[in-house]
Amino acid sequence: MNTTIRRLCATTGMLALLAGGAQAQSIAIAIGSEPSTLDPQLRDDGGERQVNDNIYETLMARTPEGALEPGLATEATQVDETTWEFALREGVTFHNGEPFDADAVVASVERIIDPGNNSEQMAYFGTIAGAEKVDDMTVRILTDGPDPILPSRMYWMKMIPPGYAVEGDLAAAPVGTGPYRFADWSRGESITLERNPDYWGAAPDVEEATYRFVGEAGTRLSGLMAGEFDVITNLLPEFTRTVPKFAAVDGLETSVFVLGTDNELTSDPKVREALNLAIDREAMVEALFQGYAGIAQGHHVNPAAFGFNDDLESYPYDPERARALIEEAGATGQTIQVVGESGRWLKDREQIEAVAGYWAETGLVPEVQIQEFSQYLDSLMGDGPRPDSIFIANSNELLDADREASFIYHMDGAAASNSDAEMAAMIDEARVTTDNAARQDLYDEVFRRGHELNYTVPLFNLQDIYGMSERMEWQPRTDAKLLIKEMVVTE
Amino acid sequence: MAAFLLRRLLQGALVVLGVTFTVFVVTRVFGNPVDLMLPLSASAEQRAAFAAELGLDRPLPAQFMQFVGELLRFDFGESTWQRRPAMAVVLERLPNSLLLIGAGLGLAIILALPAGLLAAGRPGGLLDRVVTGISLAGLSMPQFWVGLLLIVLFAVAIPVLPTSGMGTPAHLVLPAVTLALVPFARMTLFVRSQIMEELNRPYIRTALARGLPRSRVLVGHALRNTLVPFLTLVGWELVLALAGYTVVVETVFAWPGMGLVAIQALQRGDLFLVQAIVYTVAVLIVLVNILLDVVFKLVDPRIGLG
Repeated sequence: MNTTIRRLCATTGMLALLAGGAQAQSIAIAIGSEPSTLDPQLRDDGGERQVNDNIYETLMARTPEGALEPGLATEATQVDETTWEFALREGVTFHNGEPFDADAVVASVERIIDPGNNSEQMAYFGTIAGAEKVDDMTVRILTDGPDPILPSRMYWMKMIPPGYAVEGDLAAAPVGTGPYRFADWSRGESITLERNPDYWGAAPDVEEATYRFVGEAGTRLSGLMAGEFDVITNLLPEFTRTVPKFAAVDGLETSVFVLGTDNELTSDPKVREALNLAIDREAMVEALFQGYAGIAQGHHVNPAAFGFNDDLESYPYDPERARALIEEAGATGQTIQVVGESGRWLKDREQIEAVAGYWAETGLVPEVQIQEFSQYLDSLMGDGPRPDSIFIANSNELLDADREASFIYHMDGAAASNSDAEMAAMIDEARVTTDNAARQDLYDEVFRRGHELNYTVPLFNLQDIYGMSERMEWQPRTDAKLLIKEMVVTE
Repeated sequence: MAAFLLRRLLQGALVVLGVTFTVFVVTRVFGNPVDLMLPLSASAEQRAAFAAELGLDRPLPAQFMQFVGELLRFDFGESTWQRRPAMAVVLERLPNSLLLIGAGLGLAIILALPAGLLAAGRPGGLLDRVVTGISLAGLSMPQFWVGLLLIVLFAVAIPVLPTSGMGTPAHLVLPAVTLALVPFARMTLFVRSQIMEELNRPYIRTALARGLPRSRVLVGHALRNTLVPFLTLVGWELVLALAGYTVVVETVFAWPGMGLVAIQALQRGDLFLVQAIVYTVAVLIVLVNILLDVVFKLVDPRIGLG
């Protein structure tokens, strides 16, 4: 009897061990750069987000396709023009046991907007004036004017534990509410996260994830091929044929040339139209991106963003018409400045040079200047004269068309090269219009106008491509968040 | 000796200050570092507020005075990128770079001396042609490319070593070999030509005529007399490694050293970290040069320390 029980116990124990072993999935992820800090509220840092998006959560979330949905808040309602109210999810705790409640939200908001913290993320939260606790599980966020994008902003702001933020070390040992909790950071080498057993949502498949920081694309690829990594970021399109598995998804970036509409040459609408018609975008998608890029639909707005104009179509490729337009404008033989940079965005130099090649066929003489990045930023945003055309891959983190409109179309925008006051007025209005339908109408009009006047030369909606090992199942997200909870290991 | 050291240290301090100040000016005058630090979507007001918080909105002379004051207290400010003291970042990464340089240059020296000697022993012979060929190839191949090639060969095709990273001795092998290749090539060709020149001198011929074994003449006489110029070359390679090789090799192999951090700091407009790195590299280079002078004196008593 005794032996039987003992044997039974032994067998059950072994079975449990086996079962546990099968579940204890550990994966390795190679990202491009090490997080500068693991404080989730200070820096605008892709490496930091790729780790912290798993540790921390936000009031609003997004579906993999980019639609807003509830996150740590179950409901968002607009109380008045400058106030949004969020009902908070019950029963959520931080990894250190602190409860997630209205106090945590207020502390998170106040910490990020505190000028003393000099947070780079204020680029996303500039309109937020403060937060007020209504009751334990209800909180209001106040803005300095009407802000229709506030829910999108709250999808970007990570919630921190108020007690630990003061006493603990958020920069080195983060504590959030997310599906994974921080385990180890060996500086320069790796960061390890482990599954949070007390997570309020569904338990994820992957037990443990280790991040490695490999900046060089060829080295990341080699690590994947050698079996060291399960997921690598920023796989080059030409390597998609090499790797065991890959996944491509529409990303946040849209490449575009901004035209200097006040410059002598590019002030002529005919010239600007010719610049758009001269480019064979389909050929470029195949040649540069192996097909893994979308052709921008006649405006440089992210297709997943609110405000995208569905009615516009991509500019056709019509080299004869382009050449004729340049001739009509009397611009044949004139020099056009083509300014850009290299190495910052996917295939940036290649896109710039290909476009310059197409423009050369219209009769214009492109003068390509690939500038060092800080010099380039000065060309893009500085006070000096605007280039005839300047390349940028614009990223839309909040997935709202205000980004593309305010930055590139608004005459006072940092990267704008026009002086169209009428358009600027519409953009200003859209910024403070809280009625979604009216706001969409405004953007439709802004982008139709920009399209017809050829203020920009939109190129591609870039895709994010990830390399994966054979055992990984994962569909990456449009918002570029690297969520381990969505990954499954099949083995 | 003490007077010599003191003078060299003072000269060195001037060099370090000159380099540091140059970097201070260059990073502030060309381009706007705040543009590099903040996301593109930051508004003009946010840029201005950020610059004010860092003190970058003040006139250059005022910034400079503060910089000098902090430098005297060995305070390099806070890295805007890592949000911790810049010197802490440097001191964390410096040992990794020194390990890599030590292993790479050590390997180069250990291999170059015998290789150069063997090649010089019979100029034009098979061994000479092989050694010269390898050296010329080593000099012609970009380090970046060599690194990736070694990864593909010894980590992917024949998976005996890790592709990148740091942690175990195995991780050190490929980066060290990659870093060693160029110095090895230059040192080998140098030793070869020095020895060949030396072998034509009368004292060597006399030694050989007296019936001393050729190997003893090579090592005991010829090699000994090439040591001072050889050490000069080693010093030069050390400077190149500190200021250049590590940047490339660490990037390819994701080796968390100072070269990798230097590139990242530059890309992110992190003035304070860039200043701390340049200062540290300048100090190291000055120290290397002083050390070499002392070693020369020990190796060759004819060299004065005047």
